[in-house]
Amino acid sequence: MITKDFILIKVFIITIIILLAQTCKNNCLAVEPDEILQNQEQESRARYISKNIRCMVCQNQSIDDSSAILAKDLRILIRNKIKEGYTNDEIFTFLTERYGDFILLKPPFKLSTLALWSLPFIFFLIGIFVVFKHNKNSIRS
Amino acid sequence: MRKKLLILPLFFFLLIVLIFYYLLIIERNPYELPSNLLNKDVPLFETESLLKEEKFISDKEFKKEITLVNFFATWCKPCQDEHMYIKRFANDKGLKIIGINYKDNSEKAILWLKKLGNPYATVAVDKNGRIGIDWGVYGIPETFIVNSKGIIKYRHVGPITKTEYEKISLLINEVK
Repeated sequence: MITKDFILIKVFIITIIILLAQTCKNNCLAVEPDEILQNQEQESRARYISKNIRCMVCQNQSIDDSSAILAKDLRILIRNKIKEGYTNDEIFTFLTERYGDFILLKPPFKLSTLALWSLPFIFFLIGIFVVFKHNKNSIRS
Repeated sequence: MRKKLLILPLFFFLLIVLIFYYLLIIERNPYELPSNLLNKDVPLFETESLLKEEKFISDKEFKKEITLVNFFATWCKPCQDEHMYIKRFANDKGLKIIGINYKDNSEKAILWLKKLGNPYATVAVDKNGRIGIDWGVYGIPETFIVNSKGIIKYRHVGPITKTEYEKISLLINEVK
């Protein structure tokens, strides 16, 4: 009986935690009501772009999360560009032309970032090689 | 041979420690980012002038002489701190300085310039910060050096200090 209650309490707590996490997911953002676009498809595009654009003032936040003035200005600018018919790529280019690649939260794949993107895979291959070699040797002995 | 290979992880570890140590001790402000507009043309824009009746047209203002462009606002305290250096650029160095009044109240800005002195040849009004975005501005005060061909050669984010004043003074002679 005690264990059954215990399980019920456990389930209850986990549910609350999940629900709390959900509310945070929906409400913990800096987008203000007057910024939101009527067209849902356009709004979700704006949210997608905002999530991938760095807030240059706070640097480790996206403009979607940040309440800095510049972040708000950029969110509005992105929404206006979407309304004017710009594509996502055009908006990303517009922003990187002005602020550089640093404004993208995900660094683009190019020659200067080749090491950044390829090293994890190289290390992974080295790891496989080492484990394989080690296994072979231990079987032999 | 195998024993010798065992030294490799230690070697890599020490190398990483060395790189981290170097990055820690070098003097570097992570807030200061290189401008993406370096060696590019001045953005084109048209807006109102703060102190004159006529429109501010960027095309007419550049490409004649070396120009400093200074983003400022009355609500920004560091802008007040650097103002004496901006005045020195105008008075001692005889530089043409264009002020861009960023997201500010125009009446307050006019009073502010009356009180502190006006080193600017013209002041453009950037009411909603849109011009700032075209210049890649993210933390005013920001100061740009534009050469006589209308190309941006340098950007400084933050107030101009004594060292920065000397640095810009040297740079103006180089960018001609």
